[in-house]
Amino acid sequence: MRGIQLSQEPEATSHTASRRAVLSGASLLAGGILVGGIGAPALGSGSRLGDAEILNFALEMEELQSALYAQALQHANLTGELAQYARVVGGHERAHAAFLRETLGSRAKPAPAFDFGNAVTNSDRFAVTARALEDLGVAALDGQAPSLTKLSLASVATIVSVEARHAAWIRDLLGELPAPSASNPAQTAAQVRAAIRRTGFVKGTA
Amino acid sequence: MSDDLSPLDRDGALTEAVAMAPTTRRALLRALAAAGLIAPAAALATPGVADAAGEPQGDIAILNYALTLEYLQASFYTEVERIKAITGEAAKLARIVGVHERAHVRALRKVLGARAVARPQFDFHGATESQDAFVRTAVAFEDLGVSAYKGQAPRITSPTYLGFALSIHAVEARHAAWIRRIAGVVPAQSAFDQPATAAHVLAVVDSTHFIVGPTQADGMPGFTG
Repeated sequence: MRGIQLSQEPEATSHTASRRAVLSGASLLAGGILVGGIGAPALGSGSRLGDAEILNFALEMEELQSALYAQALQHANLTGELAQYARVVGGHERAHAAFLRETLGSRAKPAPAFDFGNAVTNSDRFAVTARALEDLGVAALDGQAPSLTKLSLASVATIVSVEARHAAWIRDLLGELPAPSASNPAQTAAQVRAAIRRTGFVKGTA
Repeated sequence: MSDDLSPLDRDGALTEAVAMAPTTRRALLRALAAAGLIAPAAALATPGVADAAGEPQGDIAILNYALTLEYLQASFYTEVERIKAITGEAAKLARIVGVHERAHVRALRKVLGARAVARPQFDFHGATESQDAFVRTAVAFEDLGVSAYKGQAPRITSPTYLGFALSIHAVEARHAAWIRRIAGVVPAQSAFDQPATAAHVLAVVDSTHFIVGPTQADGMPGFTG
């Protein structure tokens, strides 16, 4: 509802504001760690993740999606609205990854190497893969968002609804219900990691 | 659909979508007061807008604010389905999204229990009867819903309520993308969706004149939580 919002800021400005919010959230987190002397909990330990870990987790999802769209646009001979979808959404995912990488600074993990197989050479495989990764992205962010500090939450929330829009768009293109239920199920980090592992797309750190 | 989805000029989409209606600011203010979103005195005494700085304070007030928006959406889609003037994919959307919005209303009422605000009375001034007005109004409502939930999410204290609100937030975004595609505009216009304050959201709702009365007979008086 940008057009009838109070704020008429161009996207770059809003983006900067969001980044500022996360950065100050991250600073608060860093301060907490310093003062408390508490190390960040390990991923997969079942304990609540800290902001930096959650943002790195989100970053990995965004890198995965971003690479899928970039490679499919090169190799899958996408046409019509599916090509438009890949261009628009690919641009969003790159912007999300850049935003998270900048927010995390030196704490950002390096992007892994990906191998998407025929998901980036076959248009139909691409579409169903994009649908799966977008639905997963929404569930992953919704699962982690409540654990974020409020400032980071405000920032991640600007991303999560865009992922939900992507998911609805690709589902509609596939002839599936864009919004299959009244509540969007969240997934735990462990569930999301298992789902990503099952795809075989992640080939380790580049 | 062809490869020509374009950005939508959303300025004034709602006001263009609805027929001219008599000013019902007083009715809206009474409804907002009943919803605990403004002080009752403001509804009775002040002919001006709702308190611009008046964000809902506390989880219960936030959930009641959400409930008010869900009432608006649910009533809108329910009326579309009842009147049967909308056809095609838009009718399918109205049916399915209506189910979701009614489920959101039920869920919020259940959480709030006796503290739930009552359903205001609505008059959609023809937006449920014309294909074009329906689509434009639904785009505006759903995008507004996304920004409204996003505006409140960081203000929610309870992790349970927050998880619940985020889950609805994502569904509203899916609705928004779906109706935008039906409208022929890009489902995801920007890489970052911005939040909206309650003051802004309520000003937009006010501009529609869709809320014409405070409560229905089955309602309970509102509380600020």
